[in-house]
Order: sequence, then structure tokens, then C-alpha cells
Amino acid sequence: MDAGVKWTPYPEKMKGLIDSLQPTALQEWKGQNLAPALEFARGQARGGFSAYRADKLEKIGIGSFVHAGTRHFAFCSIMPGEAYDLPLFLSRLEEGKEEVILLVDIIPTVDSLVDEEYRKKYIESVQPLWDRFAALPGICPEESDIIRSLASIIYTAARVPIEKEGMRLAALAPHTEYLKSYLAFLPEAAPVTDEAKKKELAAKRAALRTTLRAHFFKEMLPGPAREELGDGMIELLNAVYF
Amino acid sequence: MAKVAWNEMTAFAKVIVEDYKLFEGLELVPLETYQGMDTRPAWEFKTPMATGFYKPYLIKGSDRIEKITIGELHYMGRAKYCALNMTASNAYDLPIYACEFDETAPRVGVTMDLMPTVDIARHEEYLQKYYREIAPLWRKYRTIPGFTLEGRCLVQRRYGPWPWARESLSPFSLDGRVEEKEDRVKLMEAVVAYARVWLDLLKKAEPIRDEGYRQEMLRRKSKTQKYYRDLDPGGEVMKKIFGAEKSHLFVSLVF
Repeated sequence: MDAGVKWTPYPEKMKGLIDSLQPTALQEWKGQNLAPALEFARGQARGGFSAYRADKLEKIGIGSFVHAGTRHFAFCSIMPGEAYDLPLFLSRLEEGKEEVILLVDIIPTVDSLVDEEYRKKYIESVQPLWDRFAALPGICPEESDIIRSLASIIYTAARVPIEKEGMRLAALAPHTEYLKSYLAFLPEAAPVTDEAKKKELAAKRAALRTTLRAHFFKEMLPGPAREELGDGMIELLNAVYF
Repeated sequence: MAKVAWNEMTAFAKVIVEDYKLFEGLELVPLETYQGMDTRPAWEFKTPMATGFYKPYLIKGSDRIEKITIGELHYMGRAKYCALNMTASNAYDLPIYACEFDETAPRVGVTMDLMPTVDIARHEEYLQKYYREIAPLWRKYRTIPGFTLEGRCLVQRRYGPWPWARESLSPFSLDGRVEEKEDRVKLMEAVVAYARVWLDLLKKAEPIRDEGYRQEMLRRKSKTQKYYRDLDPGGEVMKKIFGAEKSHLFVSLVF
């Protein structure tokens, strides 16, 4: 507990869902040692981030930190295995005493305007959640232009005012519900065999990864928190998540 | 809830062309044939239920335009279905400027956007190239009352039942329902502001040099046009009023 606030139990709840995949921890990513991210203290920032691998998934990143005892940041991403057409899962939560800011999405790995079959399977199937969370107080477009440009048509973003403590759990629900939907795709996911589709998937995944590495933490972390973490830790977070 | 009388509803085309002088300095010439169709029946039409016009143009001396259409359909003295569409020719990857402005006594249902002709998530440079000037306008005009209701900003949520329509929108679409008369006037300012950005982008546009990229762009562009021409609920109303052939011409000009 910080600043008299009991933070949203995002890491615990999300990791609880991820555990159903029996993930194995990743110690390094493309030669980069991930151990310094597991538990860290940089100035006034304290927290920890972990990466995992699971069947059909290249990487799962999850973790959180608290800055200056007044701001809690938590993130989760899932990068699918390259043989599969699975979308990306992306979620961020930032909270203070009076507000929870959130973004959660299932990002297509093809052009989902053109590929209707893909859209029906992975995006429209999640639309009931998008409809349901439209009633969340503070619903709004994601403010970052570059992140919004990656988002699917079913992303949920909000700045939820905390008028009573139960609102923190209400702001957590989109993350856990979208994650459950994503995990439900996994049992039936099969390797893609069509060569043209493989090429399209590889190109879009590479573009998403490049954009997310270049912009996600820069856009999602306010200046003071970002400066406290430093470029080295941001690079490490990129390795954990993307 | 505001109620705007029929004779006080927005004179959409007049406001754009005469009041704001959107096309000043450009010589618009009528486009008589579009995709093999004679467009003249759309220039002015009158039935017992509806009157109006869909006027398609090219810009004299420019090979960059597929069509610029401005139109109004007046329905039984109760509703005005207005549109402005600006589409570049197939050698260019410019977004499609699209505005639907449907006015009735209680509200205007509006969607305006520069719809991307490629998947922006795959082409980050497209965002930098075409949306730098739109981003501040989006932030300015999304504050018009009606885009936000009861503390919830509903921009980009209007087309709930039609995922294909949401897929076609950029991250800078303005869509929602606007009620008060003064807000409808402000909305026209936004319609023109977005259109001016598009015309400025057109001036600077360079033809696509990469044939693979052009094919990718054409796939998305033709899919977008097909969705609106085949699935837009307004198309069904048009079919009932004008019959299949004319309604196909009209929706093809509007989108």
C-alpha cells in the first residue's frame, strides 16, 4: 500500500490467468539478460517484470512498478509464436489516488479490414466485451496517436474516476476479461500453412514489434517515471514485453 | 433535446462551397462517367419522396482525382442525408475523405474521416505522412457536445453493429450525434477543416512508385468501397426510393 491507496491487484490477477498455460520463465531474450528486471529499485521507482514462454506463444511479459509511492503502473503483453496467426494481447494500467487509466486490446496480425475471416474469428468474437465495457465510467479513446493507430476496432480505453474503492476492480475487469478471451483462442490455434499468409503475418508482426519497442513505454509512461527508470531499464522492458 | 426546423437545417453544399469557399482556386469540372456509369441522373433527381443531387467532379488539369462528390438527399421534408467524398486516383495512396452528415430535427448523425487506404499499423510512415495536420483538429473538434455523453467520449464507437465500418476508420475519425443548432454549425467548421487538410495533402501527393505497395493499397481501397456500396444501411433506403440501378450509381458516387 502506498499513498493510503490499496493498488489494483493487476499483477496477481493477470498472472493467475497466465499460470493456466504453465509458462516457463525466460532468463534472457536475444542475448539480453532479463534478470535485472525481475526486482528493481531505481530512485523512487520500485517493482518487477518477468517474461515467460508457453506453448504457441513466443513471449508473455507481465509486471508492475510504483513510482514515488503515488503512481502504480502495470503492463501485460503476449506475443504469439511466429507459426501462428494469433493476435497480440496488450494491456496497460496506470493508477493514482483518484483515477485509473487503462488500455486493453487484442491487436490483429493481419489487415483485419481486408481479411474478414480473421476479423470474425479473433476480433468480432470479442466485440461483446467491447460493448459491455462501453458502459465503464470514463470510457474514452486512447490518447496516444501512435498506439491508437495500432489498436483494433475492439480496444477498450478509459480514465476511470475512483469515486469509491470498488471502481479499481471495475477498471481491472476489462484486462482480465480480454485476457480470458485471448487465452480461449489458444487450444484451437494451428500453424499457418499458406505461404502468402505467412509472409503477411511476418510483415505485420515485425511492424507492430518495431512500433511498440520505439513508442509504447515512451508514450505510456509520464516523463518523471520514464526518467527515473532510465533508458537502460526501458530497453530491458522492451525485451521483456516485445 | 434540441429540435431544428426543416427550413433551418444545414444547407450542406452551400455552406461548404459558397460560405467556406472550400474549392476556391480549383476548377471543378463535372465527372460525366464513373466506373462505366452515366452520372447525369444523379446531378438532380426528384421523386414523390425525395429530391436532391449528387454531383461528382474532377479537378481540371489534375490526374490525381478519382472523384469529388458533394450531395444532398432531402427526404419528405423530414431529413437531409448529405455527403462529401473526395477520393484520389489509383496512382496515389491518399486516404479517402468521407463525410456523412445526416440531419433530422432532433440531431445530426455524422461521421467524417480521412480513411486510410493501407493498414496504418503495418505502415507507421503513413501516419506521419497523412495525419500530422489532422491530429490537432481531432483533439479540437471531438469536444463538440454530442461526441461525449454523460462523461463517456464515444468517438469511434458509433458504428457498434458494423465492424466493417469501424475497420475503415482512421484513428482520427469524428463520429457521433450532435443535437444543438450551434453545435451543428461548429460541426460544419470541422467538416471543412478536415477537407482543407485533404486538399492540401492532394497538392503535395506523389504517385506510388512501389507496385507491390500499390497493389496492397488497391486491395484495401476497393474493399472499403465495396463495403460501403454493398452494406451501408443507407443503401437499402436508396434502393426502395430509386430502384437498384440508380441507387448503385448514387452510393458509388457517395462512396
